[in-house]
Amino acid sequence: MRNAPSNSHAVDVPAEAGRSLRQDALCRLKENRMALVGAALIVLILLACFAVPTLLHLDPVTTDPQNQKLPPSARYWFGTDNLGRDYFARVLVGGQTSLLVGFAATAASVFVGVFYGAVAGYYGGKVDDVMMRLVDFLYGIPYMFLVIIIMLMFSETARGEALPVFLALGLVQWLDMARVIRGQVLTLRRREFVLAARLLGASGPRIILTHILPNALGVILVYATLTVPAVIILESFLSFLGLGVTLSWGELVAEAVGVVNPIRSYWWLLLWPSLFLGLTLFSLNFLGDGLRDATDPRSRKL
Amino acid sequence: MYRTLISVLLAFAFTLLLVGLTFSASLDAAPDYRFINGTEPKTLDPHLATGEPENRIISALFEGLTRYDPKTLEAAPGVAERWTLSSDLKTYTFHLRKNAVWSNGRPITAADFIYSWKRVLDPALGGEYAYILFPVQFAEAYNAYKSYAEAIRGPLKAKLAALIEKNDSIDAARWQKFLAEADAHGPLKATEQKVLRDLLTFKQGSLNREQLNAFSQGLDLEAKLLLEKNAEARQKLGKTAGFMAPDEHTFVVELKAPTPYFLEITSFYPSMPVPRFVIEQPGNDSDWFTPKKIVSNGPFLLKTWNVNERIRLNKNSTYWGHAEVRTNALDVLPTEQLTTSLNMYLTGEADWLTNNLYPSDLVQDLRRRADFHSGPALTVYYYRFNNKKKPFNDVRVRHALNLAVDRKLIVERVLGLGQLPAVSFVPPGMLGYDSPPSKIGLDLALARELLAQAGFPGGQGFPEVGILYNTNETHKKIAEVIADQLKRNLGVAAKAYNQEWQSYISTVRGQGYDIARAAWVGDYSDPNTFLDMWVTNGGNNQTGFSSPIYDQLIAYAGNLEPFLANPEGLLAHLKEPAMIRQELEGARAGSVAQKSAAWGKIRMQLMREAESILVQDEFPIMPIYFYVNSDLVNPRLRGFYSELEFRDGKRAPNFKGIHPLRDIWVEKGQP
Amino acid sequence: MIEAITILVGFVIIASTAWLGPKSARIAAPLLLAGMLYIGGRAGWGQLTGVILAVGGGALAYFFAPLRVLRRVAFLVPSLVLLIYTTTLLMYRAPGNPFAGEKVADPQVEMALRAHYGVPKDATQFFFVYMHRLVVEGTLGPSIKVAGRSVEELIGPALPVSISIGLLALALACAIGLTLGVCAGLRPNSLADYGSMTLVLFGISLPNFVIGALFIIIFALKLGWLPVAGWGGYRHLIMPAFTLALPYAAYVARLARSGTLEVMQQDFIRTARAKGLPRNIIVLKHALKGSLLPVVSFLGPAAAGIMTGSFVVETLFGVPGIGQWFVKGAINRDYSVVLGTAIIYSGLITSFNLVVDLAYAWLDPRVRGTL
Repeated sequence: MRNAPSNSHAVDVPAEAGRSLRQDALCRLKENRMALVGAALIVLILLACFAVPTLLHLDPVTTDPQNQKLPPSARYWFGTDNLGRDYFARVLVGGQTSLLVGFAATAASVFVGVFYGAVAGYYGGKVDDVMMRLVDFLYGIPYMFLVIIIMLMFSETARGEALPVFLALGLVQWLDMARVIRGQVLTLRRREFVLAARLLGASGPRIILTHILPNALGVILVYATLTVPAVIILESFLSFLGLGVTLSWGELVAEAVGVVNPIRSYWWLLLWPSLFLGLTLFSLNFLGDGLRDATDPRSRKL
Repeated sequence: MYRTLISVLLAFAFTLLLVGLTFSASLDAAPDYRFINGTEPKTLDPHLATGEPENRIISALFEGLTRYDPKTLEAAPGVAERWTLSSDLKTYTFHLRKNAVWSNGRPITAADFIYSWKRVLDPALGGEYAYILFPVQFAEAYNAYKSYAEAIRGPLKAKLAALIEKNDSIDAARWQKFLAEADAHGPLKATEQKVLRDLLTFKQGSLNREQLNAFSQGLDLEAKLLLEKNAEARQKLGKTAGFMAPDEHTFVVELKAPTPYFLEITSFYPSMPVPRFVIEQPGNDSDWFTPKKIVSNGPFLLKTWNVNERIRLNKNSTYWGHAEVRTNALDVLPTEQLTTSLNMYLTGEADWLTNNLYPSDLVQDLRRRADFHSGPALTVYYYRFNNKKKPFNDVRVRHALNLAVDRKLIVERVLGLGQLPAVSFVPPGMLGYDSPPSKIGLDLALARELLAQAGFPGGQGFPEVGILYNTNETHKKIAEVIADQLKRNLGVAAKAYNQEWQSYISTVRGQGYDIARAAWVGDYSDPNTFLDMWVTNGGNNQTGFSSPIYDQLIAYAGNLEPFLANPEGLLAHLKEPAMIRQELEGARAGSVAQKSAAWGKIRMQLMREAESILVQDEFPIMPIYFYVNSDLVNPRLRGFYSELEFRDGKRAPNFKGIHPLRDIWVEKGQP
Repeated sequence: MIEAITILVGFVIIASTAWLGPKSARIAAPLLLAGMLYIGGRAGWGQLTGVILAVGGGALAYFFAPLRVLRRVAFLVPSLVLLIYTTTLLMYRAPGNPFAGEKVADPQVEMALRAHYGVPKDATQFFFVYMHRLVVEGTLGPSIKVAGRSVEELIGPALPVSISIGLLALALACAIGLTLGVCAGLRPNSLADYGSMTLVLFGISLPNFVIGALFIIIFALKLGWLPVAGWGGYRHLIMPAFTLALPYAAYVARLARSGTLEVMQQDFIRTARAKGLPRNIIVLKHALKGSLLPVVSFLGPAAAGIMTGSFVVETLFGVPGIGQWFVKGAINRDYSVVLGTAIIYSGLITSFNLVVDLAYAWLDPRVRGTL
């Protein structure tokens, strides 16, 4: 009987009464080794992409036509690309873009999706119906379609920039988040503490902000962690079609795939960005899974 | 119970069935072979198409008066089974075969050719290859004179008026610049008015207002004459002049002057016939060549055209020569990405990868393969000098620069596609033509000496030179390498700079450059197509180079008659007059065949003399390299000749890269 | 401004279909359905077929279709129209227009071209031209970039290609995903469980074109078993379908696993176990249905995803499907092609969602009642 109060009470206190939901989750998360490894990997990758280029004065842009497509060597750790640029630098700096776009677009979609879903879920009834209809309508449009159209609204020169891409991706991802949050809010709405708050005269927005959302935080976190890899992959699709950000993992991988031929292998062009991309996404997915298992009391308990 | 499982399995099976059904909806029978053609053709209308990919397909669907013999690329009978040439070498009479039919059974008659040639020359149609028929009497008048007249009456006169208003007089240099910018040379190139000709070539001194006004009046007259000629052409062409059909199976063509390469033109697709009865039906004008509507007369029929997927050609059993066509069906594949095309060839998905459609950095590996066929192409890459601008107006400077460039290095290191270094302007291998010995090459000692003689020892005092190229990775590389070589070899400071296409064109036309990159593709395999651009004030000259002897040589190569009447005047100036003198007799008398041969030799010699002015005397340009055609061909494909074989054993490169699909087949029983 | 209001109005109309009463739905939906079938049938096979399809479909809908289906159909038509309108607005707003080519066209030429292709300068005008062409003439319009071809001529041969790859991918995703997921769910926390779920994670940790490229390297370039690109036989179908299926197989596996876990915990399973029934029968007879539910409800969005993931896969394998038409049309600003593909995609996705809804209802008796 851990944490049992020293002075015993007449009432039978369950073993884990002393832990809040959050502590409970954290505890379980810590037990999930793989998730922890994932978290550690992400931190490492973040460090590599953001700190190393400045520390080592890496140059991803200067072209050198004499040294095109060289395999890894002492001078070029990851080799060079088709214009002679240092691939090590490109992979790391590209990571900056991919990660930034991933997190930023996710943040945007979380922001929009959470509030949309919370409003729809809380007010319910007709409001909910109408709001979800919009979501249905947007769901009926293939998201790549929307993304591409939005991308094309920017001129040719602006297109390689990060902003249009992250806008386009963020604008499309909020649908899932909205649906999930709405479901959560629908259930939370019936809980006693919400009823109590209402009786006490708190307004809708206040209730949403101070009561409901904090309790949905777990779900939000889980889905956010799982949205980042989805966004990064979407950006790589855009790169493959020629519409992505100028220097990102997706772009590097897309270029590498474009030169695969049976005569000469340029394995390093495909390997390094795929490795970084794969590890990042893998870790994020694992972390998200771990978070989900940790915050959802029903899972994994058999 | 098991019901769920069974229903799941059933759903799965049903899905697979659907897949199979929708899948087979998109398939034809297997073809004999497939080849990768380049980009998706924009149109299959022979009179509007312009690219190589379109050419290959159109030449399989349609057939002109003559066709290319696959082994020699000489003219072989097409719709015309035989033809005769008049003794003055200016009139061809084609006799059409009686069993030539359209694919719907209608016979092909001379009237079809009249309609088709008029259509391609129709200015309203806007076909870019209309000029290919300009050797025919009245063709240019029909096609272009009206727009020339309008250009003269409109923008040219307006600009001239503005010029006259602002200036009492104008010096020669500014006058020439004005003429270039106002596009005056095009519409006026054939003018017979002396006043206009003199003023167009005015090089020294300055013009006063009176002369300018005379020019203006000359323009008015010229416009009037052009319109009259145009009206005459519209009245007569196809009926009594240019080309005519005395009866259903006879087609007569009158040329302006003897044109030895005319039979190449009659094999070339813009001169092919088109089905009037399909085109003139309402609503068909932009899609008459699509599979459902098209009617054609060539060895193949257009069965399927799935855009961005493939084009299926099936053998045309109504074609008069169908017994000679050994392929039943073939697929033409479009491609976007060079790597994918190469992969498809290497894995057997395609049997033939046409012209240079692979990533250039793999060339060294591919060149060693047995199925790699390459040969020189009819295209030259060169730099123009601004012959009017100091210091390039000094021939020694131009010669020196030409001697200081290491072309071999460029071709091997920068390009690597097996291109040939060029020290002459006309690509090698044209039958009957030998380029004259060239004084261009790599000779640093001589280069330095010449430069010193010109007043710039060691490059001192030489102004910084700008090398202009149109925006492109390869042009950039070459320009930078050459700039580097000039610096290291001569001490001349040079800087490469680029402009995008439109600006580049306009800068070069207005001669606002020092050195400018250019390339020229030959339209037919006769040196004239490379040499006639360097005449004084020629539309494509744009260097300021001018040599009266050169002009004469080219003019006579275009029409030998005046030369034969009085050859000595020119012969005195030539380097190898004996070569011409020995042919003069045969040229004047003798049978049509003898005359033809002699005229041919004289022409070739005249052009050789002309090119010698370029590469031995004046060096107005810097040739750099000749392009190369390369194909990857699966050995089971026969009938592919990357080297032409003539009956007398002579060989020549197939530099037009023409491989008629009619004569390609697959050897059965080969893997 | 006007456009914003129009969109709002359109949207209100769509939203209101959620509240269509049984009577109005039973009238409105069959009419709309008949209209669509008529247009489609007439365009594809002629007037007579159009009429037959319209009358047949309408009657079927009127007499037999449940309310839920009718509501969806009523939702479909106005949302397609709204989609066309919004897409048109977005495209016109984008910089550049289809007539700005390399050869600088003078205004007269551009006006003539615009008249010829029916592409006025104003977005709303184009919308009306397009709708008129679609409903009255039954054609999707001429392509601006591909000379002499109408959009249906271009998309027509491409549709069966995309559908066959998509269907096969969907089937593969279900097969692979269900197998992996159910097996993992039946043996939780075992090596098989961890192993298969890790494998599954790989499927969603790399973009599908990287996996596709690896397939190409191994199966086409090194082993030579399958063709590297193109279209023309069953062999060309395999790699694209697998590449497209794998990420979805991953999702299906996870869903199936959690679904199986949930079901296996239920009381009625415990009862069956207590009864001594062998495990296989339990699984097949009881659990499978339950674990299928979340998978089925995922299939709707999955189909949407497969169709759009097809853009990338089609480009990678050079498969001539609709995806590449959409991408090319969008980049070239070929308005009619973009709208044509948008309509087809939306139509397919909505129809598929409908089928999924019905399947879901059939699988879960609790939902059946609400139909």
